[in-house]
Amino acid sequence: MPSRKVLLEAILISVIVGIILFAVRANEIAPSLVKFFSGNSVDPATLHLEGEFVESNLGAAEESDGSITVRMIAQQYVFVPRCVLVPVNVPIHLRITSPDATHMLTVDNNDVGLVVGPGGVSHADVRFARTGTYGMPCHHYCGAGHYAMKAQLVVVPAEQFHKMRPEERVSCAPQ
Amino acid sequence: MRRSSAISISMLTLSAAVVLLVAAAPPLHEPPLRISSNVAWTEETLDIASNGDPFRGLLIARRCEHCHGHEGFSANASIPNLASVDRLVIYKQLDDFRSRKRPFAIMQEIAVSLSLRDSADVAAYFSMLPTARDPEDKRVYPQPAPDAAHVRIAARLIASGDPQRGLPACDVCHGPIAVVRGAPLLIFQNGDYLLHQLDGFATGTRANDINVRMRSIATLLTEEERQALAQYYGSGLGTVFLGPPFSIE
Repeated sequence: MPSRKVLLEAILISVIVGIILFAVRANEIAPSLVKFFSGNSVDPATLHLEGEFVESNLGAAEESDGSITVRMIAQQYVFVPRCVLVPVNVPIHLRITSPDATHMLTVDNNDVGLVVGPGGVSHADVRFARTGTYGMPCHHYCGAGHYAMKAQLVVVPAEQFHKMRPEERVSCAPQ
Repeated sequence: MRRSSAISISMLTLSAAVVLLVAAAPPLHEPPLRISSNVAWTEETLDIASNGDPFRGLLIARRCEHCHGHEGFSANASIPNLASVDRLVIYKQLDDFRSRKRPFAIMQEIAVSLSLRDSADVAAYFSMLPTARDPEDKRVYPQPAPDAAHVRIAARLIASGDPQRGLPACDVCHGPIAVVRGAPLLIFQNGDYLLHQLDGFATGTRANDINVRMRSIATLLTEEERQALAQYYGSGLGTVFLGPPFSIE
């Protein structure tokens, strides 16, 4: 007959294991894991001159481990690029900044919500489990044109997302 | 002996040059840098651009009158009116002409001859010119109004945009509802000039908008919409208050 102490330990361990399993499973059910960070790390006035948010570096970039980094700018009243193309079921590092006001990037039907203000870089590690086209509206009032501020996310099968060269940046916004 | 030493020296120089070139080359994982404009709205730039001397600007502006009109309203619809245009807008465009970020040979030649202070002064002068009609000037603005169908298209886009397409209303950046930094007021602008600029942003022949803002918007507009907008503003209808957004049927 196990002692009371051993029984309590077993229950405790089961609860912890249960929580871990639930968390793992929950992450599978909700394909995106939302993270939020904001800090003063870029100069909003010189985004277009230097740093990772220069216009030639915006869009999706393939990392050496096969994951994708997407860099975007949220500004009154457009996201740039305004159409983002990513492969399904691949880790995506979303990085976004703003030169002017506080914005919030959201993705329809996905748990992504990134608040970003001038001078801050917000990022989230996400993974989109289903292909399709999703709206990406701004969800934080940013001025008179806020209601029309919307980008598009296109999630395509991995085979349709060609292998990118290291210096290549991809988006589905018309050039 | 001397020849082999010369060869080894030139080989050494060549090797050093190759090493330097490799070291100076950008890392392979970075795309070629593309910069839309050298102007950044830093405190220093804002200070220079906002504090021009309009009287000194008046003297410099004598060179501009032939094309942009004595009163800041041009006699040619494909040349922009500068009266009452925000000083930051004029300052930035002059800088972009100077650096060829906005390529146009005539304006580049003029802008190169202006110092930063000259640009700020001339911008201050034009920004203070009134828009009221003068009997002496030869302005072509306003042009005749477009047909009713085009008026409807333009009025809707200017007042409400098209949220389904992610297209913001024009008047939330270009006035009169609100103005964002660097965006010109359009209600007194010539139609042909506006159409040329909208087409330029849509096709990428004009790309001096900071952070791709106008290129992103212009590529969403159809050719007919660009034409309707240019005609609407060029005919002076932009000065008519349209009411709050969503009031256009």
